[in-house]
Amino acid sequence: MRFLRSWRSRVRWLFRRSEIEAELQDELHDYIERQTERHRSDGLSPEASSLAALREAGGIEQVKEECRDVRSRWLEDFGKDLRYTARSLRRSPGFLAVSVLSLALGIGANTAIFSLINALMLRSLPVKNPQSLVHITRVDSDGKPQSVSWPLFQYFRDNLKSISSAAAERSERPTIFIDGRDEVVSADFVSGDQYRMLGVEPAAGRLLEPADDKVATSPSAVISYGYWRRRFGLNPAAIGKTFTVQDHVNVFTIVGVTPPWYHGVVLGSDPDVSVPVATMLSEEKRNEPTYNNFNMMGRLAPGVTHQHANAELQVLWRAFKQRVAATLPEKDRPGYLQERAAMLSGRTGFNPLRDRYSEALLVLMGIVALVLLLACANLSGLLLARAAARQREISIRLAIGAGRGRLIRQFLTEGFVLAALGGSVGLLLARLFATTLVTTMANGEAVTLSIAPDWHVLTFTAALSLLACVVAGLAPGLHGLRTDLTLGIRQQRSAGNQRLGRALVIAQVSISMVLVTGAILFAATLLKLYSVDRGLNTEGVLTFSLRTSGKCPPERCRTAVQSLLDSLNRLPGVASASAVDVLPISGSLWDRDVQVEGYSFRSGEDQGTAFNAIAPKYFSTVQTPLLRGREFNLRDTRTSRKVTIVNQSFARYFFGAASPLGRTVTSVKVSYEIVGVVADAKYTNLKQPLMKTMYIPWTQRMEEEPTDFNFLTRATGAIQCALFQRSRGSSARPIPLCV
Amino acid sequence: MSRPTDLVQGTLDLLILKILALQPMHGWAIGERMTQMSKEVLQVGPGSLYPALHKLEQAGWIQAKWSVNEANRRVKFYSITRQGRKRLQLEAADWKRLSGAISSIVFEN
Repeated sequence: MRFLRSWRSRVRWLFRRSEIEAELQDELHDYIERQTERHRSDGLSPEASSLAALREAGGIEQVKEECRDVRSRWLEDFGKDLRYTARSLRRSPGFLAVSVLSLALGIGANTAIFSLINALMLRSLPVKNPQSLVHITRVDSDGKPQSVSWPLFQYFRDNLKSISSAAAERSERPTIFIDGRDEVVSADFVSGDQYRMLGVEPAAGRLLEPADDKVATSPSAVISYGYWRRRFGLNPAAIGKTFTVQDHVNVFTIVGVTPPWYHGVVLGSDPDVSVPVATMLSEEKRNEPTYNNFNMMGRLAPGVTHQHANAELQVLWRAFKQRVAATLPEKDRPGYLQERAAMLSGRTGFNPLRDRYSEALLVLMGIVALVLLLACANLSGLLLARAAARQREISIRLAIGAGRGRLIRQFLTEGFVLAALGGSVGLLLARLFATTLVTTMANGEAVTLSIAPDWHVLTFTAALSLLACVVAGLAPGLHGLRTDLTLGIRQQRSAGNQRLGRALVIAQVSISMVLVTGAILFAATLLKLYSVDRGLNTEGVLTFSLRTSGKCPPERCRTAVQSLLDSLNRLPGVASASAVDVLPISGSLWDRDVQVEGYSFRSGEDQGTAFNAIAPKYFSTVQTPLLRGREFNLRDTRTSRKVTIVNQSFARYFFGAASPLGRTVTSVKVSYEIVGVVADAKYTNLKQPLMKTMYIPWTQRMEEEPTDFNFLTRATGAIQCALFQRSRGSSARPIPLCV
Repeated sequence: MSRPTDLVQGTLDLLILKILALQPMHGWAIGERMTQMSKEVLQVGPGSLYPALHKLEQAGWIQAKWSVNEANRRVKFYSITRQGRKRLQLEAADWKRLSGAISSIVFEN
């Protein structure tokens, strides 16, 4: 009760301050008057008595200050300081702009990197108990996760006692045929235990269960909440719809919807459709232990530690390797036995972005910390200059009795205001930086990464802003208070002040040198990458790819592709048009083992060669020079003699200086005659060294027809638009083509 | 006027409460009454009195009221509250115990 009453009087005092001040004044005035009267009645003269009264009281202002001090003043003082700070900052807009900008840049950059680190490395999957999830995988020599095969997944799942459940997963972007239309969706192929292991409850219908793995006819499928909303408008009739996936024979029935907060287990993707992986596996993939294509996640059994589970994993992995190595050809065994497996944390899900970029992000974090340090030194210098300019004001305040603590509090308030402003602007900038970074990392693929600031990021920003301002403001603040009062009034800078100022400038210059050097090195690397000789010219080339949904009879497919190529070549403005199976510099690689006539491989020598299937005029379209022989033409059909074109590295490796034309290369039991040699060109990416490559005509591919084929056209100059109508099976596909 | 000793400073609250318990009065009168009741031993100046009054008012042990006296002057009268009386009892008992203990040591013979 007493506490409440004292608070009430505090609040009352806050709001009726002027009234209370007037009262205090009256009271003291009254006191002085009575005291004067008393002295008068004692016999002193009027002036002497009033003087005596005032002297005894000890100074009215001090008494008033004592009374004010009795009440808790920090709230009112803070308000005063804020107003004073606002006024003084308004008077120096240049200082305000520069300091807020420096802070905002430093804080914005740090917050951007931190929010990425937060999204990629700190945030857990939004499922039940993510700490007990583990990612069971083979790893490469750097410890980066790779994938497992179906037999390996089953082996671990059945034999690892340390895990209570496990699931395998694979992401793709197939075309599905639903509601009479083709559609490209992002799909998750999951094993039946996935949802149960994660503890995910359906938003509607039911989710996939282990029983769904075994259903052969009419298997079930699950859609995501986002897809349900986008595509079906949350219509409950969506459950029960059927669809087919590319050219698989199964007809899937939608049985349920995942909850809105579930975005799959691969960070950065959001699968629209999930189907049981067991229904998508061919016999070959199901049984081949080295066909590594799946991500495996498990949940630790209660009470089992990570190390214990990992130890058990290593034992089982060795046993598996021994068994499989015995079935491999002799030359492959040592390589296979060297492979490693590990049990990593599955808390954040499968994280290809993190695996690729975590080092880069940490390096960036170090760099932007330097940037912030630079901004702080800059701000410190500015504050020092400002304090020097206010020396007179500070000295006067000290002289009339302001406590040092009070002045420090005022400096801190200034720092706090600057921190708040810098932090807010920094937060906005961070949004911009982070979005740009994510787009760069995504590299053309669709990445859904939520970088909206959550409380981690906001706390980080607030803490960083305050720290920056305290660091920046402390040195000049303390320095300013230590001055000699007379020097201050005369506005002379003491030696210490100059020393500090110089030190700050030196610090800023050094940090700037470091950053600029780093930037130059990065720019040089980028420049070198851009100017590397690619062996082909991608300027002015338009590419697009075609997909088939549903089974396309090979003959029909071939005629369709051929007629498309013919139409493309006939278009006005198109210099040449062609097609290729694996688009160069797209990150993919197709390689096979070859045997070359007249060359015997030493043991342990790599027989792999990069492969690609191309249409006629490919090399003239990408402008890779043809050095010997000829390009493929329409006479190289499925039934004619099998031919191949090799690149210069291939020719030099196997034949030295002699001409390779007419020699035979065999791959997968088919013999090809070499009819041409082209210059080397980059294949997978710009950083890969040039590889031996051989090209075969697309008509002479021996496997099932490719379901996506990349078409390239080199157009000359003017903007062209052409519309195509093509029939493929039962669906007509219009293809707008614009350059 | 000499400033009161530190000991009296600490008991100023107690003295003010007691004086006001006898009769409500304004600030100057409290100082006068204190001097008078202590036979000129204790003298308190406004630098100590008014901060103490404000502190007691904030704590809720005394309350203030403005009124106009005969000479048409505005004066602020202080009076003790119910909590103040309880507090007075408490502090008086404390003082008795404390002073008794000190006296019994100092005047030990």
